[in-house]
Amino acid sequence: MNTVLQTKNLCKTYIVNKRQNNVLKNIDLTVIEGEMVAIMGPSGSGKSTLLYCVSGMDKVTSGEVTFNGKDTTKLRENELAKLRLDEMGFIFQQMYMMKNLSVLDNIILPAVKSKKNSESRSQTEERGRALMHRLGIDDVGGNDINEVSGGQLQRACIARSMINSPKMIFADEPTGALNRASSDEVMNELLSLNRDGTTVMCVTHDPKVAAKCSRVLYLVDGKIVGEKEMGSFDGGEKELRDRERTLNNWLMEQGW
Amino acid sequence: MFWRILKKDLKRKRTMNAILLMFVILCSMFAAASVNNIAAVTGGIEHYFNISDMPDVLVSMDSESDEEKNIEKLSGIRGIKTEDPIYIYSSKYFKLHGKKLDNFINPALMISDGEMGINYFNSDNEVIKSVDKGKFYCTTTFSDGLDIKEGDEFELSIDGFSYKLEYAGIFKGAYIQNGAACLPYMLINSEDYDNIKAGIVTPFRSYKTMFIKTDDPQAILDYAEEKDGVSAATRDAQKSIFIFDMMVAYIMMMVSIVIMLAAFVVLRFSIGFTIQEEYREIGVMKAIGLRNMSIRSLYIVKYLAIAVVGAVAGFFCSLPLSRIMLGSVSKNMVLGTENGVVLGVVSSVCVVAVIMLFCYLCTRKVKKLSPIDAVRSGQTGERFKKRSLLTLGRSKLPSAGFLALNDVLSAPKQFLIITTVFTLCMLMMTIMATSADTLKSPKLLRFFNTPDSEITILDTEILGDQLTKQGGYKTTFEKAQEVLDELGIDGKSGGGFCTHSLFTNGDKTSTRIFITAVRGSIDYKLKCDEGSAPHKPDEIAMTRYAMNELGAQIGDTVKAEMNEDEYEFIITGSFSSFMGGGYAAFVSEDFDMSKAVGNGTTGIQIKLSGTPDEKQVNDAIEKLRDKLESDKVYTTEDSVKLMTQVSDPINAIKKLNMILTVIITGLIIMLMERSFISKEKSEIALMKAVGIPNRSIMLQHILRFIIVAIIACVIGSAVVMPISSLLLSQVSSLLGDVQGIDVDYCPVEVFALCPAILLTVTAIGSFITALNMKRITASDTASIE
Repeated sequence: MNTVLQTKNLCKTYIVNKRQNNVLKNIDLTVIEGEMVAIMGPSGSGKSTLLYCVSGMDKVTSGEVTFNGKDTTKLRENELAKLRLDEMGFIFQQMYMMKNLSVLDNIILPAVKSKKNSESRSQTEERGRALMHRLGIDDVGGNDINEVSGGQLQRACIARSMINSPKMIFADEPTGALNRASSDEVMNELLSLNRDGTTVMCVTHDPKVAAKCSRVLYLVDGKIVGEKEMGSFDGGEKELRDRERTLNNWLMEQGW
Repeated sequence: MFWRILKKDLKRKRTMNAILLMFVILCSMFAAASVNNIAAVTGGIEHYFNISDMPDVLVSMDSESDEEKNIEKLSGIRGIKTEDPIYIYSSKYFKLHGKKLDNFINPALMISDGEMGINYFNSDNEVIKSVDKGKFYCTTTFSDGLDIKEGDEFELSIDGFSYKLEYAGIFKGAYIQNGAACLPYMLINSEDYDNIKAGIVTPFRSYKTMFIKTDDPQAILDYAEEKDGVSAATRDAQKSIFIFDMMVAYIMMMVSIVIMLAAFVVLRFSIGFTIQEEYREIGVMKAIGLRNMSIRSLYIVKYLAIAVVGAVAGFFCSLPLSRIMLGSVSKNMVLGTENGVVLGVVSSVCVVAVIMLFCYLCTRKVKKLSPIDAVRSGQTGERFKKRSLLTLGRSKLPSAGFLALNDVLSAPKQFLIITTVFTLCMLMMTIMATSADTLKSPKLLRFFNTPDSEITILDTEILGDQLTKQGGYKTTFEKAQEVLDELGIDGKSGGGFCTHSLFTNGDKTSTRIFITAVRGSIDYKLKCDEGSAPHKPDEIAMTRYAMNELGAQIGDTVKAEMNEDEYEFIITGSFSSFMGGGYAAFVSEDFDMSKAVGNGTTGIQIKLSGTPDEKQVNDAIEKLRDKLESDKVYTTEDSVKLMTQVSDPINAIKKLNMILTVIITGLIIMLMERSFISKEKSEIALMKAVGIPNRSIMLQHILRFIIVAIIACVIGSAVVMPISSLLLSQVSSLLGDVQGIDVDYCPVEVFALCPAILLTVTAIGSFITALNMKRITASDTASIE
């Protein structure tokens, strides 16, 4: 299996009111193609910062981040933007979308912007519709973003992250703003994507969400203090309960 | 608490607040300066007349006339002073450093310091009691275009008589109008006056002026009305000579009103944006029980602080601007200074009051926000209005262009405000351009009852016969034609002139109406607004002002008395004219004008055969200048500039306006783009997070403004002509009775240069401001509220 993402001695430091705040401390991490990695930890442990640093959205203070063979710390702003557009997908806790565009236009915007995409606008639109159909939101394509539910919007965000067929999807608490039913729907979609070969890295507070991932990293004070191999999840309700129990026990051991 | 919130807000929105402050400063500055200017000119005229000891009535007549004795006997007269200036009919009789002068077109008048009718003032606004022997003061009409300093020696040289005078400085008089088309005056020592008068072998025809203090001005006016060759004007009527100063002041006032309007739009935009952006704070404040008024007062206090600081700064900035604006006026007048500061302060206070009232109205939006906005991200869930109008999938536009156009269409109200401001900016430039072009356009010639021509001769010496002898126009035009024939210039000559007459209709009489005629070999057809042009000797066309003065209508018969002959005319039509301030009557070409002495002329017009190009016209002008030994042979376009006098000041204002427009447009764009960036921080961060490059997002933002600027250019271009026509008609009605003025313009300037300026400023301004987007990074998605 190929390594998609690797970090070596990754450090991130913020200076707040002239005080140095080391958010990430010498993180070494490897993500293999096809993995679904959950990052857990208490609030302020640096989970989101780690996600933003490895995805090239934020600059690292020191260390190396290699994504798909490229050292992202050495890339310029435009090169990073291209990498994010063509090879990464993002899902955020808040369903950020362009207010002036319809749901469908929001989904296809990255594809329209991508230079690797040689298809016509109508073909892109068709692909966007197909993605929406797959995610069960094909009836809201023409709607404004304030005319759909949170669950539908988050699935639209997943569709947007998938439109350029990325190598890896980064999700920052993708179910944080959703109710349980919507949360399950969204996680099932991510699982489905992962089964199709897309690598997923997901920050979450929810053990039920993390239980669906193949590996869980536990972060405390900017350091990975624990790692739990969960194996792949086949989708059964009973298996999920067992995995959740195991994970909860492990988390308690970590001080959760 | 207010102070803490205000301090935080001022710090957080530094750029937006700074731009708003600049607008308030501009507003206050122009309002204070222009109000001061208008007040100084209107109130200043009375002040000037008082310190000049301006009499109740001014009467002028031929120097040889003995009517003076009869007037002295009229009732109510308290005192009379008489000036009998020496007329020097051409500038070429004066030499400076051995070179003949050619800087003024009218006869120069030499007044003796021994018979000054009123108090005259030097450049330091001190009353001139006497002039040293061998020295002279002159008005700016005489000195404009000359590079002179005190002590320079001028030589008067006429028919072998020569006299030297030393320049002592500028002087001004309350009845003396200044401008290229006005009479230049010189004030000289009485001994010099006597020497010159005695030395000139063949004196030019001259006119004397009586300055009369009387308790019964009407008796003098009635007498003058009955007497041919005697004209009288009251002290109030003399005030009209400052109309051009007033016009410039009013135009500046218009500019300040436009700036104020732009400032209001900016303020409205800024307040709307702030409230929209702070929905969460407002919602929370409401949730904890703060009343609407308390929340509104937070914003009002902030804008009050900006308005007060801006108004104070604007007031101080208005002082030098006011001095510059009054600089041109004070060349012609002695202005009082007592009201300037007070009026400036009052204007600035008014600006603050209007801004606060406007703020109060704009903050109404606070009422609409509810606590639920704090928890629902500003969405109440009650708005289901469609936002996106275009579809990316079906659009052929490049993505940045699509997003920009979609943004404009999705927030029409917001972009309508920007379009309005841009359109105002565009109109500020184009209307000034059309006004300046129209006021120097040959199209105006028809309002001076002047034939269509390429060349105009305005040398008063050449026009002398026309203005001094009965039927003198014949010899003037015949001589002109002879010169043309002699020089081999293929063309026709002629021109318009007017003469005083006494008109009667029933019991109404008037001496204000000038009989106007066009004579010579040149073709001319009067264009009437109503009815038809006169074709028979007993037919006449009149301006509406003239008909109203007589209470007459088209079809009525009026009587006119001219050179002791009486005529009856049927009014056949009405026409527009600047002649006689709009009080004019036009006679047919068959009407006998052989006894008429011209009181006014628009010079000799020459119409060249065929369609001559610029070079041919310039060659003909050069030949005529050589032959006539005069520099006062102009293209007709240049002669119109001299006739209207306002083209140059408006040109100067046009340039100032362009600079102002660039500044205002730039500031508006910076303010609005900063607002957009601040409001759309989350979207920008999101776009960056999904991998859309910074330059593409910048392009989207720049294109939004470009789209709006293009719309503004289209609207501005569509309405510039009707608005210019309307404004010019209003301005023209101050100068004469003129309707249906044809707006003249340079298409390149109005439809290419001005839009190009607006678009360039828009592109540069939005680009520079959009550079701030670089500070927003993809990781900012983590801190989006």
